[in-house]
Amino acid sequence: MTTEQPAADVSVGEPSLAEILSAARDEYRAEIRLVRGGAQAAKDYSTRIDGLLQRIHAEAASQTETPVALVAIGGYGRRHLCLHSDIDLLILFDGPIAAAEERFVKALLHPLWDLGFEVGHQVRQLSELEQAETDNPEFLVAVVDSRFLAGDARVCARFDTLIHGPESVWRQPTVEALVGLFAERHHHFNATIYQLEPDVKEAPGALRDVVAIRALVALTQPGTARSVPTTSGRLDEALDEAEEFFLRIRSLLHLQHRRNLNTLSHDDQEAVAERFGSPGGEARGQVEALMSVYFHHTRIIARILAAAITEANPPIGPGTTKPVGDNIRASRDGIGFVDTVRASLQPRTWLHAFQAAIDEGCPVSPEALAFIERHSDRYTSEEFFPGTSERDLFLHLLTPKPGLYERLSEMHESGLLGRMFPEFRKIYCRVIRDFYHKYTADEHTLLTIRNLSELADPNATRRRRFARVLAELRHPELIVLALLFHDVGKWTNRNHAEESVRMAEGPLRRLQVPPESIRTVEFLIRHHLQMSVAAFRRDSEDPEVARQLARLVGTEDRLKMLCLLTLADIQAVGPDTLTPWKEDLLWRLYVDTYNRITLGYGDEVIASGQSSIAQLRAHRPPEISERQVSDFLEGLPQRYLRLVGPGTVYAHIRLSRDLEPDEVRLTLDKHDDVCGLSVVTKDRPRIFSNVCGVLSYFGMDILRGQAMSNRQNVVIDLFRFVDADRFLELNESGPSELTRLLQDVVTGNVELTAMLKGRDAAARAQRGKIRVDSLVHFDHHYSDRYTVVEIGGANQWGLLYRISRVISQHGCDIDLVLISTEGDRAIDVFHLTRNGAKLSRDMEQDLRADLEQAVGAADEAR
Amino acid sequence: MKLVKAIVRPNKVDEVKDALAAYNVGGMTVTEVRGHGRQRGHSAVYRGREYEVSLLPKMKIEAVVPDEMVEEVIDAIMSTARTGEIGDGRVFVIPVEESRNIRTGELDAV
Repeated sequence: MTTEQPAADVSVGEPSLAEILSAARDEYRAEIRLVRGGAQAAKDYSTRIDGLLQRIHAEAASQTETPVALVAIGGYGRRHLCLHSDIDLLILFDGPIAAAEERFVKALLHPLWDLGFEVGHQVRQLSELEQAETDNPEFLVAVVDSRFLAGDARVCARFDTLIHGPESVWRQPTVEALVGLFAERHHHFNATIYQLEPDVKEAPGALRDVVAIRALVALTQPGTARSVPTTSGRLDEALDEAEEFFLRIRSLLHLQHRRNLNTLSHDDQEAVAERFGSPGGEARGQVEALMSVYFHHTRIIARILAAAITEANPPIGPGTTKPVGDNIRASRDGIGFVDTVRASLQPRTWLHAFQAAIDEGCPVSPEALAFIERHSDRYTSEEFFPGTSERDLFLHLLTPKPGLYERLSEMHESGLLGRMFPEFRKIYCRVIRDFYHKYTADEHTLLTIRNLSELADPNATRRRRFARVLAELRHPELIVLALLFHDVGKWTNRNHAEESVRMAEGPLRRLQVPPESIRTVEFLIRHHLQMSVAAFRRDSEDPEVARQLARLVGTEDRLKMLCLLTLADIQAVGPDTLTPWKEDLLWRLYVDTYNRITLGYGDEVIASGQSSIAQLRAHRPPEISERQVSDFLEGLPQRYLRLVGPGTVYAHIRLSRDLEPDEVRLTLDKHDDVCGLSVVTKDRPRIFSNVCGVLSYFGMDILRGQAMSNRQNVVIDLFRFVDADRFLELNESGPSELTRLLQDVVTGNVELTAMLKGRDAAARAQRGKIRVDSLVHFDHHYSDRYTVVEIGGANQWGLLYRISRVISQHGCDIDLVLISTEGDRAIDVFHLTRNGAKLSRDMEQDLRADLEQAVGAADEAR
Repeated sequence: MKLVKAIVRPNKVDEVKDALAAYNVGGMTVTEVRGHGRQRGHSAVYRGREYEVSLLPKMKIEAVVPDEMVEEVIDAIMSTARTGEIGDGRVFVIPVEESRNIRTGELDAV
């Protein structure tokens, strides 16, 4: 036997192992009760356990002649043993392991098991460790904190040289194992520190991350001064403070639960906060104080860990910088400011740094974030958005895309988000106590945005059906804006949705968001729970559920936005909240409601007695009579009132007054890059077809089109289109030319088909190049009054004109139309009758064949 | 003891849970499931394309109850989960041979 045994004599009259352990635990418990169960108490307890092991080793030593060392590894190696921690041991032989050595191991482990220890033991021959165990990352990491306990010290010294020596082959694999385990562990916690019931050992930013930082620094900077950057004081102090805090909480949890449990549940938070004597008169206040300290430490640790990982794995490539904007440059560390003095005086330019980071696919540099943290408090929220260009930049930044969550998180961590929107600061680390929520209110909010952004990732493979819906939206940033404020009302215990709407008013006003967009954002915030209630709390097979939701949302765009917001919101509650089952229920409700809105809306017409008419009559301008309001509205689909505001209704009433049979009246306006056209005329064949044709003739790209009529046979056609060639902008007489041609075509003075002939030939040639599935689908179920035809196909010049012309040629009346263009795809829904009735099956057959020909579906079928 | 297994509409789970609580049914397991009964799903249309919805979302509630309570528990489930429409679900009753508490190893009387 060659061990150099530390003093651990066994003699008669000495206390038993159980008595020693009991006494050690009693001492530890006494310290924990005084809330002093931190690093020193853990160290003292570890030392007592060392003694216990040395005594057991002494009793087992006679079993083998092979030199052997007993080594503490992992948390025990660090002397961080908590009251009910496992004991991690390495039993290291300098020679072959045979029957005698196995007897030695048993003699060592059996007493430990008898004492009730959970032992994580590793048995190795020294020669096995000449190569790093790259297939065992946990072991690689555990031996970083190794400590000789008993046996042959020379064996341990050789082990130490192999593992920690300057020529060690273990170093790089251990760094990789650390980073890999860290990523795996963080992924398990959804990669956020803001856990409502955190595991103080494993959660991101908690105890194990402190250990990981120390290990990374030790492995990557052996023997030199450590230099991991931290904005919160010196590295060692920051780590020590956090570690002490986490260890004391952990020890209280072990004391309370009498087992190795490290999750700080809501109930535990109350008990721990009371033990700590946290400020606050009530339990809730005390818990918030405790958790704010917890999140303070985890934020610091997360930041240091990120820096330590970057230091351990510096980005490959030259350390050059390049300009990526005015006063902004990209370097290896991320995006930063060129001239910080200038940046400090121009807070409105800071957003450019975050936009550049998204564009470049890199972070904002730690230095730039620290700069923003130092300077943001000097500015008011208004000073970040002095004009509409900053508003536009911010809304552009909010477009869902990969990197948005990370940049918003940086804004939040640096205090910028709270400075720009003090309303958001009200939910800073706000704890929501319920069974489902796993994260603080602010982090939940940012995670909703991450979930939505994941749908915009072209490489993502999950939830593609929802991703397609997102891709169809023209203003997806409005969902992000709504998500940003949807839970700010949770600072109070009142109806949080209404409170959130109230609080969002200020930010939306400061940002100078257009009124229509404000209405959409407020709608989404106010009703952000409605769709999940309908999907999961109502009978999904009851048609009334979709009907009610259709009434609530009104339009397809709002439905799509509410659906995506709901999806992102549910997913951000906890890692397992959005099950495929729930996703299916939500999708089914979306489809049912979408069909209700697009196929079934024709039967719901405005009736004389309804309250919306009464309101419009009551608030009408003086030159419009009550009778004119009623006459105009009656018979129009309810959808009309969901599409337009009161001002537009009155404008349409003015256009419809004293309308001659051949007269066409219109209004033309422009918002951003989209033009709006309202056409009011008396009903006649081919009106819709002709308007489409005229717009096509002038090269307009039709985004939306809707046609409807009232009981007075007045037709209202509403179009939104993009003037891609800037015809209206560059030609002063453009609007009047468009009006004149429209008038001539509608009255039959001009034959549009001949005018479009040349262009149509070019379009036919183009049609073959665009690969979009075409379809023609007839529905007789959704509407009692109409045959509804859905037509989808490649969005090409003149498509609408061709379709509507085919329908008219078959003698069908186009009573209602709903057109939407989504990128390369056009989706058109026509409500048709012939001689006032639905189409017969024979009529359908004939019409289908010609429509398929018009959209190219027949070609594809062949 | 009997294992009562009920397949119900998702929106009926809370009502059934509350009804069972009134009968002091202690533990229960609720699972999100998909399936079909005689209704065999249906076809749906989205943007002109038809697709089959063969498996419908349902909730499965499982509770172990004493023999003498089985009828009352079934009545409670039936009365709360019924809408009268196709797709209300089913209740199954299965004999339980043995029941053990995993933590304590205690064998419950069956």
